[in-house]
Amino acid sequence: MSHRNTQRSHRKAVIAIASISAFAVTLTACSGGGGSDAPADGGGLGTADKHVKITMMSNDAFAETWQEQLVPEFNKAYPYIDVTIDSTPYDSLLAKGLLNGTSPSPDYDLITLDDPWTPQLAEAGVLLDLKSDAAQWTEDDYDWDDFNSAPLASSEWDDGQYGVPLRSNLLVMLYNKDLYAKAGLPEPTPELTWDQYMEQAPELVQDTDGDGAVDSWAVGLTWVRGVLSPPFWQTVLNSNGGALFDEDMKPTFDTDEGVAALQTQVDLLEYAPPGASTYNYNEPLDAFRQGKIATLFTWGSAYKSAAVDEAVTTLTPDQVGIQTMPAGSEGASAHRGIWSGSVFKNSDNPEAAWALLQWMSSKEGELWSSANLGSFPARKSTLASEPAEPWLAPVYTAIQSGFDVAADGEMWRPRSPDSNAIQEILANETSAAVQGDRTAEEALDRAASEIKELLEK
Amino acid sequence: MSVDSLKPNRSRTRRGAVVKDVISRWTFMVPAIVLLVAVLAYPLLYTLQISFSDFDLATFAPSSWAGTGNYEDALGDENFLNSLVVTGIYLVLALPLQIVLGFGIAFLLNAEWRGRGVVRALFLIPMVVAPVVSGGIWKIMLDPLWGVITWFLGLFGVQPIDWFGDAGMAMISIVIIDTWRSVPFVVLIAAAAMLALPKDVFEAASVDGANWWQTLKSISLPMLAPIIAATFIVRWLGAVKMFDVVVATTNGGPGQATNVVNLYIYRQAFQLLEFSTSSAMAIIVLVITMVLTFVFLWGSKKLEDRL
Amino acid sequence: MTAVNPPVASHRRRSAKAHRTRVWSGVIVCILFLLPLVWMLLTSFKQQRDIFSSPPSFIFEPTIAQYVDVLTRGGFAGQMLNTVIVAVGASVLSLIAGAMAGYALSRLRIRGAGVIGALILASRGVPPIALAVPMFLVARSLGITDTHITLIIAYCSFIVPYVMWLMRGFFLALPKELEESAMLDGCSRMGAFFRIILPISLPGLLSTFIFSIILAWEELLFALVLTNRNATTFPVAIAGMAGDTENGANWGALAAAGMITVIPVVILALLVQKWLIRGLAEGATKG
Repeated sequence: MSHRNTQRSHRKAVIAIASISAFAVTLTACSGGGGSDAPADGGGLGTADKHVKITMMSNDAFAETWQEQLVPEFNKAYPYIDVTIDSTPYDSLLAKGLLNGTSPSPDYDLITLDDPWTPQLAEAGVLLDLKSDAAQWTEDDYDWDDFNSAPLASSEWDDGQYGVPLRSNLLVMLYNKDLYAKAGLPEPTPELTWDQYMEQAPELVQDTDGDGAVDSWAVGLTWVRGVLSPPFWQTVLNSNGGALFDEDMKPTFDTDEGVAALQTQVDLLEYAPPGASTYNYNEPLDAFRQGKIATLFTWGSAYKSAAVDEAVTTLTPDQVGIQTMPAGSEGASAHRGIWSGSVFKNSDNPEAAWALLQWMSSKEGELWSSANLGSFPARKSTLASEPAEPWLAPVYTAIQSGFDVAADGEMWRPRSPDSNAIQEILANETSAAVQGDRTAEEALDRAASEIKELLEK
Repeated sequence: MSVDSLKPNRSRTRRGAVVKDVISRWTFMVPAIVLLVAVLAYPLLYTLQISFSDFDLATFAPSSWAGTGNYEDALGDENFLNSLVVTGIYLVLALPLQIVLGFGIAFLLNAEWRGRGVVRALFLIPMVVAPVVSGGIWKIMLDPLWGVITWFLGLFGVQPIDWFGDAGMAMISIVIIDTWRSVPFVVLIAAAAMLALPKDVFEAASVDGANWWQTLKSISLPMLAPIIAATFIVRWLGAVKMFDVVVATTNGGPGQATNVVNLYIYRQAFQLLEFSTSSAMAIIVLVITMVLTFVFLWGSKKLEDRL
Repeated sequence: MTAVNPPVASHRRRSAKAHRTRVWSGVIVCILFLLPLVWMLLTSFKQQRDIFSSPPSFIFEPTIAQYVDVLTRGGFAGQMLNTVIVAVGASVLSLIAGAMAGYALSRLRIRGAGVIGALILASRGVPPIALAVPMFLVARSLGITDTHITLIIAYCSFIVPYVMWLMRGFFLALPKELEESAMLDGCSRMGAFFRIILPISLPGLLSTFIFSIILAWEELLFALVLTNRNATTFPVAIAGMAGDTENGANWGALAAAGMITVIPVVILALLVQKWLIRGLAEGATKG
């Protein structure tokens, strides 16, 4: 009898579970699906009585500065638009952006995108094409041509312009002038080639205080397994005229030049401090700040914290030089890394959102941002102007020449809806080569075949 | 007449009493079941659904039935299989170490003295510190160039060890950091359990002249067996989710040496936006952990019965 | 009688020495374990340029700039508050549901409960990513993203199995006849549970409560996906600080953040220690 009762209660439990699940499934099924289209009038720019509210999901590193300094400045020009900028950790930005873009009731109007992400979101159809869909709200004096082509291209995809550059960055070479002097070597110039650099590297491993132990090394860069690591050898490859992919996204890096480029990255490990094989972004930067390495290949935005900020570094602007990376057979090398701002297609206030982006990336806005926030500009006019801080002058020169070079050689991370997957494959194989698990040739062959397989799916 | 009219009543009340009893027993399970069904059932069913379909990013919904395609992709993915192996190695190294160390330290900490409470509270801290910060600070301490541990070992003439750059050492470093973070849990559970042990049995044993090894083998271990088993199982399920410490230190490297399965699936989903494949992988991992959990449960039950 | 005395005396001497060794070993182990924390504390008072000196600097110019930096970051106080709310809410809810379920699994004979319990436990093995996205979709369709209650319920998904299994272990260790005598006196099952079983299991309950808080305290993934700004917890903020690819992660500030976020839990643990000891004393007198 009790058995029958337990059976009955079992059955009841199963029915309960099934119905709750069914209910939940229908809930989501009803609300799933693409986002609504933007209102035809674009939401307007607000009035004194009725402000327009827009929200932006932004990378953690600059969200707070933008909210506290940039938004008030923006409000001087557009007093009726209330902007909220939320900081989102880098790793989750892409996924949350996609979730927001496909939501029927989105929380955000704007998003900042790192270099390789635009193709994925554009393919998914969640971004607004700023040159066509938003053309009606573009100011007459908004000069598209004043942009350097390299940073602008980072948010371009499939003939559509899905964003504008907000914070531009470039892989550069920082060097410690004192350590070069101690080694008796001339300071790097834009004409320095990779071959010359590789010759100099052993001499930069030195014992500076004469106690018999090496305490200063030649180089630091990203060697750890991760997406920041392949750009280095890609830059070497680009400077020698090679490229990662051709127009049809077929791998073209499993060539002799590619192998030589990857081998360069592997070889440089010899002249780096102990533990360098786990160097990510922070570690080589910290080593450089402590005066332990003579050259640092990193993003140009690191200059300030490497040479200027006293609380953070032991070096001064006089001691630190900045340069484009060494040249290959085809010329100097550079690698672009741009944060762009994009508008979600399902936003209710695309006009106001685009107004914010326009202001930020306009000539005046860029000048203001570079002067007050220390971000690097993308416009030719801004880079040609006199920077606010004297130490920025060589930085601007390096960046402008870097942009020119990058545009010529298409020097940036792979761009396709599969770019993240491609980058992971490259990261794995680069790490395997750096570790010595595989030769450079084996690593690149494997990467090429894996990527071909991936793209065929 | 009277007998007939009595019988149905009595059997009805007996049935009623039995039903009431069953209901009163089940009431204890109900809150947990309701809560978990509400929170787990839908996500698991959803994951199951998209693991069998193609996923359309533009509408963020499953599109067409893909059969076992995603599972085949997952099982054919060399890196995924490698991540399972890596996770397995990590578990085999970390779990026994943490249980043995935890119970041992708990025994030491349980000695009755005034500072015991404070010591126990302090012992909690490694568990509470944000995993990212723990991993980062350990990485700094172990750095071959400026780490304080490297410096300390150097005083004894030990050459700088590449804790995170060498594939084998990297896993050991992860195990060390994870042990540092998780042993407090084992210690505190074990300490609480030991406190609840009846003291008279131990007093009788020591009066009888039993040394510590005999006491341990014949009294403490059998009495603690349920707690040891429970702690092991809980820790095992926590360890399977290892993620933060790896990201903060080795990022899955060098090569693939510390690319644990949770990290791999996270990347598939959040960076590669491969939701259907990552769901298939998640279900595979769930099945494996379920099977292993049942094995451990069955094993611990056998242990409890025997002891 | 006299035959008993000598062994007891020497035994007492032996056990006193063993006791002292035990205490001192415990203290030494504790110190060794806490050394990394000492280093973290030192780091939190260093300027960034002193953190990476080679050889490591033990003497340096201390500064509280890192703590100021963390505490004045926009929203940090709010994030701490959110974490406290969500952690306490989820732990209390889970403790109630989990302790009851653990009791059912350990001392009540219910057919099928064992399997259900095992399933619940095994569900903890699912990679959290698989749960996070669907949870977000449900929360979004109900309009409750970025709220405390969503996080609390989401956290219950991994805390309840945890509590359930731990409490089961504690309950199993109790003598079998405990509630039977009370029920013979006319107490209901529920009453016996609350009046007899729970008070005796107080050490286990309190320990489990603290661990639940800790589990919720460090949880990152659900908070990342399910919240935007209103209910964000501080692990999200710390993840953002650590992933800074503009200026590089500021380890001084991160160490400071780590120290600050530890404090509430330590205070709670110290408080709980008091109750624990009191509860034990009462339990001891009951024998």
